[in-house]
Amino acid sequence: MALPLHDTSMARQAEATLREHAQFAREWHLTDLFAKDANRFDHLNLRACGLLVDLSKQRVTLETLSLLRALARERGLDQWTQCLFEGRDVNWTESRPAMHWRLRESEAQAPEVHQQLALMERIVNRVHSGQWRGCQGDAITDVVNIGVGGSDLGPLMASVALHEHFPSVGRRPRVHFVSSMDGSQIAPLLDELNPATTLMVVSSKSFTTVDTLSNAATARAWLTGAFPDMNGAALRCHFIGVSAQPERMTEWGIHPDNQLQLWDWVGGRYSLWSAIGLPIALTTGMDYFRELLAGAHDMDRHFRDTPWEENIPVMQGLVDVWNLNFLNITARAVLPYDGRLKHLPAYVEQLEMESNGKSVTRDGATVKYHTCPVIWGEVGPNAQHAFYQLLHQGTQPVACEFIVAARHGRRNGNSAELQPLEDQHRLTVANCLAQSRLLALGESALPTNEEWPAFMHYRGNQPSTTIMLEELVPRQLGALIALYEHKVFVQAVLWGINPFDQWGVEMGKRIAKDMVQVLSSGKSTDELDASTRALADYVRQLQDI
Amino acid sequence: MRIDVVGDTLCAAVTAAALAQTGHLVTWLLPEGHYWQSLQNDGEGYHEPGLMALVREQVEAKHLTIQAMGGLPGEPAPAVFMALQPGARELADAVLAWLVQRPGCEVLINQSVFPVGTTEELRQGMTERGEAIPVVCLPDTLQEGRALQGFTRPEHILLGCDDAAAEGMIREILRPFNRRQDVIQVMRPREAEFAKLAISGMLATRLSFMNDMALLAEELDVDIDVIRQGMGSDSRIGEAYLYAGCGFGGPGFSRDVMSLTDTLRSRRIDAELLEQVLQINERQKEVLFRKFWRHYEGEVSQRRVALWGVAFKPGSDRVDNGPALRLIEALWAQDVEIHVHDPLALPELARWADGRGPLVLHESSYDAVHDCDALMVVTEWKEYWSPDWLGLKGVMKVPLILDGRNIYDPSYVKSKGFQYYGIGRV
Repeated sequence: MALPLHDTSMARQAEATLREHAQFAREWHLTDLFAKDANRFDHLNLRACGLLVDLSKQRVTLETLSLLRALARERGLDQWTQCLFEGRDVNWTESRPAMHWRLRESEAQAPEVHQQLALMERIVNRVHSGQWRGCQGDAITDVVNIGVGGSDLGPLMASVALHEHFPSVGRRPRVHFVSSMDGSQIAPLLDELNPATTLMVVSSKSFTTVDTLSNAATARAWLTGAFPDMNGAALRCHFIGVSAQPERMTEWGIHPDNQLQLWDWVGGRYSLWSAIGLPIALTTGMDYFRELLAGAHDMDRHFRDTPWEENIPVMQGLVDVWNLNFLNITARAVLPYDGRLKHLPAYVEQLEMESNGKSVTRDGATVKYHTCPVIWGEVGPNAQHAFYQLLHQGTQPVACEFIVAARHGRRNGNSAELQPLEDQHRLTVANCLAQSRLLALGESALPTNEEWPAFMHYRGNQPSTTIMLEELVPRQLGALIALYEHKVFVQAVLWGINPFDQWGVEMGKRIAKDMVQVLSSGKSTDELDASTRALADYVRQLQDI
Repeated sequence: MRIDVVGDTLCAAVTAAALAQTGHLVTWLLPEGHYWQSLQNDGEGYHEPGLMALVREQVEAKHLTIQAMGGLPGEPAPAVFMALQPGARELADAVLAWLVQRPGCEVLINQSVFPVGTTEELRQGMTERGEAIPVVCLPDTLQEGRALQGFTRPEHILLGCDDAAAEGMIREILRPFNRRQDVIQVMRPREAEFAKLAISGMLATRLSFMNDMALLAEELDVDIDVIRQGMGSDSRIGEAYLYAGCGFGGPGFSRDVMSLTDTLRSRRIDAELLEQVLQINERQKEVLFRKFWRHYEGEVSQRRVALWGVAFKPGSDRVDNGPALRLIEALWAQDVEIHVHDPLALPELARWADGRGPLVLHESSYDAVHDCDALMVVTEWKEYWSPDWLGLKGVMKVPLILDGRNIYDPSYVKSKGFQYYGIGRV
């Protein structure tokens, strides 16, 4: 099947119909929508894979959704989805498929994936049983993941989210993450760690990422310096590499036995399911990691096979498009009401903005509408003390996304000892529900008839989606992350852009290389713009002191 | 006097045999486990010097009757000794129920290693059921390898007892072993239990201290054995338990220390020192592996290693918690082929290894080292002290000795063409 066309007359027609509908919709207030339809929640919530997604606090009606689906049909979402799962070159600028879903398939469907999982399992079990040995023969107590972007955000987010899940046998190491190229993370960490018991995981799909390789070089210098007599063993015993480029790993010095591979057909920001997820498996054990994959696989099948009316990624993608392109809400806040999901906002920021921060369609035309909104977020209860003021009383409309687990899901949660923590969880859920309610309804949510001064008014009508997990377990987290991945794809189809490349990131890397030359040698400053030249000169002056 | 001894620990066996030897009519009641089977089938029973001979002798003399514990149907003797396996609390409760139901017992002597306070709990249980039989504590301080001697010629006896009549009875029973001078120290039951654990804790601390010093000795290029002698000659320190080695183990020793740390922890006291002691010991159990690993710079897969000795100490057939097990697990994980010799403990080792991994067991210590890349001496059995060095060098692939008990003279071994690593010596 060929990739479908974006801009057809039928599509234009569907969009025009939506625009007409939006004329009215812009006048709607959520308070009225709820007043009009007592069963609004029943019509507008979706459930699958352990998730409940409530769209009823969005400024939509059943008619809106139906018109959005019509637009999706004309944009060829059906065919696009089919192409995605058939492994067609949906990443058209790089002429390759995007098959992160394949990482979640069964052994029969994806043998090469499971071969890597088996290698990963061997490493994980060795570390957990205390039998991965440093060059002095000591068991490993600390693992440092050296990566950036997709090799950092995804593993970090999921490792922290699942930190309460322990491997069934053995003892997990402490897992640390370093990403920043300036060494500000790795330097203090190395001060704390014992080289004899520390294992480095160098994670880079290309194995050329300068941020990662500079941190890795620092780590290598630290280890070879600690064991000057046994450099061969220091490298062999303390470094694991994860990359799609085995020969570059070998060249760098990663022992072939310690190389884990992924493939070109996985985007970096879609790669936590591969060996890039090693820190997750080291945190939880392989069984839970496989659960995570199983949850994502559940979502893959749901996305591929479920009619759009009940299809969570499709409906959420469409509602996001509605908010941005038809209600002109250009910002979205990601608000997990669960400290375990504290890295989810950063993860979603990369996933969505690096995927959909594009403006050229497949036929080379520049789009005349907004694509990805500005996305930011924070753990909800903390954000209440930070930027919620703007959500409640500022001038910007912001679409919000509340993510919360109905149960905390800790073992023995009923015990008297854990009661205070269970109470804290209940308090957090209560805050989540209260905030989405207040944002939606404004002061009509408040039980009072008093007259308030203007500065105390809550205008409400900030739309939100609530994603409720039954509990934060690997399987449901897997489904949640896959939901975001597929939603991003749905939006990209609606906008006609390629969510799987990142050309905007590449150029910066190249220019930075030249810039290093400028700073070290001072040469070729003439070709620079006045601002950059002046800044570079200033840096050189101060460095020379 | 008629005496019952309940349990199948070494302490129970020694108590039963030694008391029978002094003329008591002893009935020894065993739970129907491994030892019961072994005694029934005329098997080896306990590998404790002199013990089984004495048991057989006393059975023949009809001073000692061995029975299955079963439902404890008979009438209890006036004195009932109870030396159960650690954690066998439900058996203790069964004994309690028996004594309450069937009259005849005048004192229950608890020798089992249970948490501090258990003896008093048993007494409380007795009282709650309307029986005023005193329960006293006679902690098991026997050392494997010299248990019989330890019982019959004790240096000290801890007696946890707060009942004058019971104390009189115990003193009468122990009279033959308490002649030269009175070595019985009477204290409260919980104090006796605690003292017993504290003794183990102190000994373990000395060993871990020495192992820590051994690490330093290697760095400073001094021989820990010289240091040991220097320390031991100071009368404030004394010579016992100062040997650096590849870690302590055994069914009792590390368990006592763990029990003590658990007790401290349950009272919300940080058992900082003892936890370090145990941690150092766990690390020490792998010390030979680490030396082996470093020697080959981590390239050990497919190599062949011989272990001499797997018993946790010479004279014992037990391997529980011993360094050999940790060593074997570490070697398995690196795909090293393991050949083992031990004069006594191979059956126990085979039982443990079953289903875990492959081992090649050898009757002859020289067969075990054939074609090996290293020989690890884990237990200092006497037969290992003076090997035929020439023969050894002839059959080993790489003449590399890892001496976990410092039983060899490094310069002599090196002069015979071996590479040698001891503990705390270069």
